[in-house]
Amino acid sequence: MSEHGFWDQDWMKVQTAYWAQWGEWARKATGGDTPAEAPWESAMRHWWQALAPGAPDAGGEFMQKMIDQGKMMFGFAERFNAELAGQAGGAQWGEVLNRAFAGLQKSFSGEAAKGDDALHRMMAFWEMPLDNWQRMVSSLSLTPGDLLRNMPHGDPQANIERFLSAPGLGYTREEQGQHQQMLLKVVAYQGALQDYARFFSGIGTQSVDRMRARLDKVGEAGETIESARALYDLWVGACEEVYSEQVMTAEYAELHGRLVNALMALKQQMAAMVDEGLGAMNMPTRKELRTLQTRMQENRREIKALKAELTRMRRELAERPAQPKAAAKAPRAKAARKKSVARNKTAAGKG
Amino acid sequence: MFPINIRPEKLAEEMAGFSQKLGKGAENLLHADKIDTGVSPKELVYSEDKLRLYHYTAAEGARQNPVPMLIVYALVNRPYMTDIQEDRSTIKNLIAAGQDVYLIDWGYPDGADSSLTLDDYINGYIDRCVDVVRERHGLERINLLGICQGGAFSLCYTALHQEKIKNLVTMVTPVDFQTPDNMLSAWVRHMDVDLLVDTLGNVPGELLNWTFLSLKPFSLTGQKYINMVDVLDDEKKLKNFLRMEKWIFDSPDQAGEAFRQFIKDFYQRNGLLNGGVRLGEREVDLKGIRCPILNVFGEFDHLVPPDASRALKGRTASKDYTEIAFRGGHIGIYVSGKAQGTIPPAIGQWLDERSG
Repeated sequence: MSEHGFWDQDWMKVQTAYWAQWGEWARKATGGDTPAEAPWESAMRHWWQALAPGAPDAGGEFMQKMIDQGKMMFGFAERFNAELAGQAGGAQWGEVLNRAFAGLQKSFSGEAAKGDDALHRMMAFWEMPLDNWQRMVSSLSLTPGDLLRNMPHGDPQANIERFLSAPGLGYTREEQGQHQQMLLKVVAYQGALQDYARFFSGIGTQSVDRMRARLDKVGEAGETIESARALYDLWVGACEEVYSEQVMTAEYAELHGRLVNALMALKQQMAAMVDEGLGAMNMPTRKELRTLQTRMQENRREIKALKAELTRMRRELAERPAQPKAAAKAPRAKAARKKSVARNKTAAGKG
Repeated sequence: MFPINIRPEKLAEEMAGFSQKLGKGAENLLHADKIDTGVSPKELVYSEDKLRLYHYTAAEGARQNPVPMLIVYALVNRPYMTDIQEDRSTIKNLIAAGQDVYLIDWGYPDGADSSLTLDDYINGYIDRCVDVVRERHGLERINLLGICQGGAFSLCYTALHQEKIKNLVTMVTPVDFQTPDNMLSAWVRHMDVDLLVDTLGNVPGELLNWTFLSLKPFSLTGQKYINMVDVLDDEKKLKNFLRMEKWIFDSPDQAGEAFRQFIKDFYQRNGLLNGGVRLGEREVDLKGIRCPILNVFGEFDHLVPPDASRALKGRTASKDYTEIAFRGGHIGIYVSGKAQGTIPPAIGQWLDERSG
């Protein structure tokens, strides 16, 4: 392989394979037989799978993000193209859009047909805010962020809460109580997370409506969207607009607060239980450490205040005007006289 | 007319273009050198705990305002945003505008710093840095420039130590934390900050990253990477992109106690306007500010809405108040080409006129 072999040769092979399959795929698409993964997409996937192991982490992550967004962008355009290709020449564009958007709406209500990858990608786009949350939670925890996401919710949750509210019995009642508290907080967090997810699913359908409205405007203005990128940008703009409206509502503020608070309550309970275990093994606990940190900061604050005071006093001392000569010399002169008298007395004694 | 007309051959062409850019640019990306930030020469003049105070060195013989300027950056993110690269450096341009620039770098607080309060930051760290600069220049009063949260700190500091500040510049600084368009304010309304800080100690940078990305999730976590494909084959543009990316995710943890007070007093109680922000034994009253004020903000700032900054007007006892509204966003005000040529020179001129 030449110095740039992979890029120049392997990449072009992938491209060639892609072009070869493109025609075939397009033929199938126009016949309504859309494969789950487009050939260009699988080509891109294979290329990246071959390359990724040798890529530095940061660079690899960027590439993956770009590829994912590229799939999203082209998948979206293909989705519309497939819809349009199947239309009879005389169909009104309003009807065509209605059909296309009906599919998108289904994706947010969970009714999308299995194997409709473009729809799933659209849905995944609206999972971005949630995905960001999961990543953040993962970074604060030893467990994956979505560990609690698919726990039962609704009536089973109420039953679990009722069961967990029963008081503990016997010697281990305190420990039982801790575990019950822990599970109750798990259930509360999971409920908050599901409500949060439901909210996003709801505004996902609104963004489809907004996209439809934006397309209508484009049509009314006699303009056309001619590239996947322009369509993608329109979709991002519609999503961002709906999102910014909805996350400023009182409902979202409450959901957001509940989600963060539920996670913190859960983590606090986990920390308390870990502390119990550490204490039992005579190991330093988080609580003790926190006490030490607070005391240390109090000490630091006091030391800094004392240093500042000392500096101020030194400066004041240095800046104090020199004592008048006569006054300053007087005591020394007096002392000198006393010494002289003493010396004279001693001398007289010796004599 | 049908609003979508993406012809298959055009789509194929677009895909091919995208793929070729990816393939060509992947090499640039995967072999990108270490990303450097902070380009202007500087010397360390004071350090304390994790804080570092830097003095930026001007070219020999360059004209300099006799009154030095101390920049107070936010605790959130890193201050190298102000000096991110050779052709996008607010600091470099402030020096070019004749200012003698100092900057506080707060460092990365760890667990041992979790009990640092706003009093420690403002009446402690900032005050000692101001004293160091005053002493180095033999001046009673210096110029202070606060950025974002650092701007709010600078307002508090000036209100409490007016005798040490000659002129105050605030950039993208929130004053009214509860304007109707302030997303962050809406989101923390129901947040139990005591529970959060008691649980986490320091507030992790990841939590802040998530919050900031959540302001525009589709643009910042999706569309941005499509835009990146366009610059992949241009090494310089790619490095600029990576530099910004590095800065965005370079979020220090926040000292827990300072975070607790900032959210409660500033966001939840809107204390700069309503009162109630106590630092040590004194309460902050913006009427304590009597020096000239220059308030610079972004008209399209999604993090600190312009009205949040405009609220400063008329709230202080200053008789010399000036506003500059920049047609850009929270970050663009430091890094955009337009800002480079307008904002630092305007700040320099405003200060020169008042530093005699």
